[in-house]
Amino acid sequence: MLQILNQPTAEKILAKEDLIRIYSEMLRLRILDQRMLTLQRQGRIGFYGTATGEEAAIIGSAYALQKDDWIFPALRQGGAALLRGYPLVEYISQCMGNAADKTKGRQMPSHYCYRPANFVSWSSCIGTQIPHAVGAAWAMKIRGDKNVAIGYMGDGATSQGDFHVAMNFAGVYKVPVVFFCQNNQWSISVNIKQQTASESIAIKAEAYGFKGVTVDGNDVLAVYSATKAAVDNARAGNGPGFVEAVTYRMGAHSSSDDPRLYRQDEEVEEWKRKDPINRLLKYLEQLEYWSSKEQESLEERLTQEILDAVAEAEKIGPPPVETLFEDVYSEMLPNLREQMAAKLKR
Amino acid sequence: MAFEFRLPDIGEGVVEGEIVKWHVRPGQSVKEDDPLVEVMTDKATVMIPSPRKGKILETRGEEGGIVKVGAILLTLETADGAAKATAEKPEKKETPKAEPQQKQSAPAASQSEPSKGRALATPALRKMAQDMGIDINAVNGTGPGGRITREDIVNFSSAPAPAKKEAPPKFAVVGGSEKVEEIPFRGLRKKVAEKMTESKTHAVHYTYVDEIDVSQLVSLRNSLKDEASAKKVKLTYLPFIIKALVEGLKKYPLLNSSLDEQNGKILVRQYYHMGIGVATPDGLTVVVVKNADQKSIFDLASEVERLSEAARQNKIALEDLKGSTFTITSLGTMGGMFATPVINYPEVAIVGIHKIEQRPVVHEGQIVIRDRMYMSLSFDHRVVDGAVGAEFTQYVKKFLENPALLFIQL
Repeated sequence: MLQILNQPTAEKILAKEDLIRIYSEMLRLRILDQRMLTLQRQGRIGFYGTATGEEAAIIGSAYALQKDDWIFPALRQGGAALLRGYPLVEYISQCMGNAADKTKGRQMPSHYCYRPANFVSWSSCIGTQIPHAVGAAWAMKIRGDKNVAIGYMGDGATSQGDFHVAMNFAGVYKVPVVFFCQNNQWSISVNIKQQTASESIAIKAEAYGFKGVTVDGNDVLAVYSATKAAVDNARAGNGPGFVEAVTYRMGAHSSSDDPRLYRQDEEVEEWKRKDPINRLLKYLEQLEYWSSKEQESLEERLTQEILDAVAEAEKIGPPPVETLFEDVYSEMLPNLREQMAAKLKR
Repeated sequence: MAFEFRLPDIGEGVVEGEIVKWHVRPGQSVKEDDPLVEVMTDKATVMIPSPRKGKILETRGEEGGIVKVGAILLTLETADGAAKATAEKPEKKETPKAEPQQKQSAPAASQSEPSKGRALATPALRKMAQDMGIDINAVNGTGPGGRITREDIVNFSSAPAPAKKEAPPKFAVVGGSEKVEEIPFRGLRKKVAEKMTESKTHAVHYTYVDEIDVSQLVSLRNSLKDEASAKKVKLTYLPFIIKALVEGLKKYPLLNSSLDEQNGKILVRQYYHMGIGVATPDGLTVVVVKNADQKSIFDLASEVERLSEAARQNKIALEDLKGSTFTITSLGTMGGMFATPVINYPEVAIVGIHKIEQRPVVHEGQIVIRDRMYMSLSFDHRVVDGAVGAEFTQYVKKFLENPALLFIQL
């Protein structure tokens, strides 16, 4: 398993500014998740999936992409969209389903999309985004674009047919795609031990004719380097790559889940000691890139930004009622027009 | 102004929740995000934080009671004007009020809609009402957004004005003077029932009883009393019994296991977390003394005291209720002669400790008065054979009859 933090090679990988940017994005995601979960409990958003514990995997991998590369996320990659400029107010609005939500309140909360960063919405059905990523990558290859598509998934998705179909297709057609699996040990209540008999998930790539690597998913430098290598390789026309980031879902699967029902607190405690944010923080302190004063002011700034964005998003009302009738047919059918008129009259 | 907080849909499409615990009382002031109430749905038990700052005017629903999603949980008196620097500035009072409505089930909408014009109902239910000779517009809808449900139509036909189900009368009169009190079967009571049923359904219980001469133990404990009170520890017999049991479990590891039926494995625990049954006002709770083998007699005594007190006051942490590998149940001075303890499933053994009494016995050829105690052990015969259970008991007995052995770590 690839580990880089605290190794002699670490310093050559990313510059100070990059490390601080990554750290700040990880911390923002942590604080934001906490706030969003609270909003869900208060009935202010409908549903939420936190990324707590998996910030290094998400931010480290997305940081390895270029601006025009495409992201096909699963449930927990909203932080990758934020990294690429997705405005906080829009992120929060998506969870509220208000008028600033590009999906007009019709998509499940926590299922973001952001066209300017080629961040595609997710279908919720486990694994469907993997063939989408392969399809997009195939199109890039045919068109001669120099871009790469990344398809994110959890460990559970690797048991889906879609996963195997996508992997096979990608290998046969040598498309510029990188599969990124956040193996967080739990697919809701199913443990990784019940998920596969293989010694790792990454090893499955070999069966499809390309390389898979397993990295310490809580080591942001390992995640970044492995993803960067796979992305560069795909961009150079050498076909797909696979990265398995071994990490841990420290929170519940989603706001509807109660992990105390199926896993031991001891296990959670053990992984808390490997918290990816703490590990990066310690590394930054060791290099004297970071002080407790900077930490305090960053935390304060991020928290305030988030609170302000929530307040702003709550001021935006629901999408107009007529949008309920639009977007079904290019030209509205007479019965829909009638229903819309009746609804608007009320 | 008063802000009504309604139970949000805290899972995906849950319809109701059970109030586990109120963390606030009317009259109390709360800040935004302060814990209000713990609610259990069929998916999860969650703490609901306050959406805003204010003073609690009213809480609705008892602990153990059921509350529907969208129903008012509590009302808050929120400070108007004064826009504090917290993010969700309380100035825009009006927007959040509309908030529950813009999501799915809109309880507020139900008040306005059904009264005017056409009732909301599916074609199938319209047909059903028509067949039953009912004017569907006269039916009061209780579904989301005032929609009429099948039950609404059935209720409408069976009783002219079916009053909403109120709490059941406390005393249901059966006939004359025969009164029956109805106690809601839920919460801890229900959990205990489920655990007991699970144990008796899976484990094959047999119980082995033996009498133990604890005269030496009694004098040992008496001699340590001053030492204990100097350390402010209430020294009972339990710590000695725990120590003796740990010795037994080390020698007979099978007794410290559980049977994983699904995967066909006996999981032998190599750590000793001792469960101790504690009677609380709400029912039986098992608190857990972690790593009992690594604790001294005094450590065990104070740990047991702390845990039992926390359990009785309903302040015990979840952490302290999980992970036991073997369980002790003790009725103290009400201990009776012997019992048939129910195993704390999925463990494979439990020991019941009974009252220590002075009895005349034959000791070294003479009838003398000695301190005697019965011990009842139930084992799961699927894992523990009769001979093994008996050997274990005899081994533990040896330590209790001659407690000096405990200190030389046999």
